[in-house]
Order: sequence, then structure tokens, then C-alpha cells
Amino acid sequence: MSQGHVRVDDISIRFKGKQGPVTALAPTTLHLAPGSFTALIGPSGCGKSTLMNAIAGFVRPASGAITLDGREITGPSADVGVIFQQYALFPWFTALGNVTFGLKRLGLPKAELHERAMAALAEVGLAQHARKYPQELSGGMKQRVAIARTFAFGPKVMMMDEPFGALDAQTRVVMHDLLIDIWQKHRATVLFVTHDVDEALLLADRICVMSQAPGRIIRDYRLDLPRPRSLRAQAEVLLPIREEIISLLHPSHSKP
Amino acid sequence: MSDARETDRAATGASGLAAGLTGAAHLAKPLLSFGFILAIWVGVTAAGLVPDQIFPSPLSVWQATMEMATNGTLATDLAVSLRRAATGFAIGTTLGIALGLLTGRVALVRTLLNPFLTLLRPIPAIALVPVAIVWFGIGEGSKYFVISYTVFLTVWFNTHHGMEYIPDIYLRASRSLGASRMREFVQVVIPAAAPHIFAGIRLGVALAFLSLVAAELSGASSGLGYRLQEARQYIRTDRMFTLLIILGALGAVVDLVVHWLGKKLVHWQQG
Repeated sequence: MSQGHVRVDDISIRFKGKQGPVTALAPTTLHLAPGSFTALIGPSGCGKSTLMNAIAGFVRPASGAITLDGREITGPSADVGVIFQQYALFPWFTALGNVTFGLKRLGLPKAELHERAMAALAEVGLAQHARKYPQELSGGMKQRVAIARTFAFGPKVMMMDEPFGALDAQTRVVMHDLLIDIWQKHRATVLFVTHDVDEALLLADRICVMSQAPGRIIRDYRLDLPRPRSLRAQAEVLLPIREEIISLLHPSHSKP
Repeated sequence: MSDARETDRAATGASGLAAGLTGAAHLAKPLLSFGFILAIWVGVTAAGLVPDQIFPSPLSVWQATMEMATNGTLATDLAVSLRRAATGFAIGTTLGIALGLLTGRVALVRTLLNPFLTLLRPIPAIALVPVAIVWFGIGEGSKYFVISYTVFLTVWFNTHHGMEYIPDIYLRASRSLGASRMREFVQVVIPAAAPHIFAGIRLGVALAFLSLVAAELSGASSGLGYRLQEARQYIRTDRMFTLLIILGALGAVVDLVVHWLGKKLVHWQQG
């Protein structure tokens, strides 16, 4: 099927500030292998969301280049799906309408369009809520609709910007399992932005840690562990990494 | 949390009756207010402090109403005025929404028109009447012009404001879902601006009635505003009261209908 090889080569991003340009992202290089799941973690304001927005095509880098399967990313496109922390569902459409919106691009006949949208909702366990509006759904259900909407048309790459940051701990655990399930079926390349170390350890094949602003990637861990994971069962591998990342994120709190 | 919402949904059917009862309770308050004012009105006029010709009693107003209703002027004036308000409103709203969408979406149009339109906004409708009469005569044209112009500016302003206010996240979501610019415009931009557009339409309806009277007070030979002017010449305050009450009630009813329609069409709006 599709590839999804993302190469971020030496990009830096600047914004206009009140006192001249502000560097949001120091020159950064990051390659995402097709079908990999990478977590990007760092202190708030370090530029992790900025890097994600650049790959999504929302922000243009001041220098360097971002390519997807060899082609430069110049703006948002359906190749790069995005899951937002605030869900970004359209409140004027039902859950089904939201998923259908993403599928319209494919130009399917009406019956098939409906069938595929319903299948995508069933995949996230929301088939019986298809006719509800986002306002009638809980936070976890909204994010499920957003996941269904984005995965449904099969983007090669998936940017997730702290997607579960607004959810309670229990809902989050359920969403982690759901996300891994769907990702293993669709195999898009995932970049998952978070500030939660445990979330990164439970989900990702690879964890990139960013420094304080202006951000750059200061550590790159590979995790070759089977899923589903648990901090207790895989403590030997995960806990030392966890300690290290926490001390990287909060240098002043690090234990001797 | 989600369970509670589901129970809420299931309960909506059963709560139809309760909703009807609260509806009646909502009606009780305005009725109480009207009853209170009417009682004072009756009291003041019955005390004979003011001559009936200056401040007519409710009974005199009722008789004047019946008189105007039976001689046919009331129905004719109402029809004429409603047609003017509706026509002006329709023209103004259509142009206002169309131009608002344009100035909201196209930077060049915005740069060329916004400062000028903003400058026009403070000009009251009544100040336009002389110009309208010179341009369109004292026929229907000048009325349509004054009303539609007033409605247009308000609807334009609100539509434009709504376009500016569209959360960036909707556009980002739409583009990363591969929507074309046309589909983004129709299925994302317009619905996202719709609550503001409807607020503008609601104001536009109120302004249509305001400017209707302004347009009819000078240079008309029929309509509620004209009839008010005529009543002044004969010092028929009873007729004036009838006309004022009709204008108030008409505006309130139309506003309620538009508000209700807006809630149905823009059902996702919070609060």
C-alpha cells in the first residue's frame, strides 16, 4: 500500500514576535520510517506542536525541507491526517457527517460512502451513535469520531497533537488500546505529541525528547517491546528510560 | 458523563409535556406585565386627569382599532407596510450575506470596501429619506431603498464579523481532510459563520421595521407610518396608539419567529 516516509531535514521555524522574530524551533532533523509510531515529548512551549504543525503543512519552515515519500510538503493535504487535542469536529455535522466529510474526496458512490463511514465509526465502537451531534458526545467519544474521520480515508501519515490530553485517566487507557488497535490495522506513520512520559512509553516504538525552547531533539529512544504494554510487566526496560526522560524534562528535579 | 447524557436524550421525549408547561410559564410573565401596564392605563384615564384626546383610554383605542378595521384601512396599511418591510429585508439580507461572505473571504474586496462600509454604518435610516426621494421618487422604490440599505449594512457587518471569527482549527481540519476550497467554503466556512449571520438577520428584521416607519413618515400615501402621520393631522391619538401597538406587536412576533427559526437552523450554537 502507501508508504509514509517522512524526512524532516534541518528545518527551523520562526514566528513574528513583538520584539522581532522568535525562534520556535531550532534546526531539527527527524526521519520517520514508514508505519512507525514515534512519540515526541518535551516541556511545554518547546516547539513540539510547531514541528507537528510543520509536518501537517500548517506552518512553513524558515529553512530546511520536509518531504513525504520524496515530495516536499508545501501545505495541508489528505496525505497527512491530523488529530487535534480539541477534536476539531464540525458541530453542524453528526458523527456520521463528520466521517463522511473526510471521505467525500474519494468520489465514491453514495451507498459506498455511507457504508465506509459507518464501518469507520463501528471500528471505534460508535456505530450506534452515528446520528448524534458532537455536542451530544463525551470527550472520549468525540476523539473517537475524530480518529475514525481521519483514519477512514487512509492518510499515509498521522499527526496527533496531545490527542488525549483533555481526557480523564480512565478514558485515556481505553483510548490507548483503541488507537494501537486501529494503527496496527491501518499502519500509517504516526507522530504522537505528548507531555505525558507514561503515555509515550506505552504507545510508541520510538521516543524523541525535546529540549526547552527553542526546541531541538536531544534524545532518541527505540523501544522494541511487544504490545499491549504495561509499566509493571516491562519495568526492567521501561522504568530506567522513564527516569531518564523525567530528569531530561525537569533537570532541576533529577535525583542523584 | 456519557451515560448521563444518554439518559438526558432518552428523557427528551417524555419531557415534551414538561416543556409545554414551562412554555406556558414563560408566557405568564409577559402577560402579567401587560396586565399591570393596562391596569395603570385604565386607572390614569378613568381618573380623568388628562383629556381623552391627548391620552386616550384603552376603550377609545379599542374603538379606533375597530373603526380602522371595519373601514378597511388597517388591513390595507398592514399589507402595504409588510410588503415594503419584507421586500427591503429580502434585498438587504441577500446583498448583506453575499457581500459579507466576499469581504470575509477575499482580501482584495475587503481592502477596497470595508473602510467605506464602516463609515456608512453610523448614518441613520431617516437621514437617507431625502436622498432616496430624489433618486427613486415617492413611490415604492424609495421605501425599498431605505429599508434594504439599512438591513444590508447590519447583515453585512455581522456576516463579515462571523467570517473573521471562524476558528482556525476548523479550516486546518478541513484542509488536512483533503477538502477542496469550494467544499471548505460551503460546508465549513458558511456553517461556522452561521450563528453570526443569524444574529445579523435578527437585527436586520428589527431594523426593517424601524426604517419602514422612517421611510413612510415622509412621502407615502399608505402604510402604517403614513397612517401615523395622518392621525397627527387630525389629532387622533387613539389611532396613533393603535398603530404603535400594532408596530410593537408585529416586530415582537417576527423577532420570535426569526429567533425560533435560527435555533432550528443553527442548532449547534451554544447558549
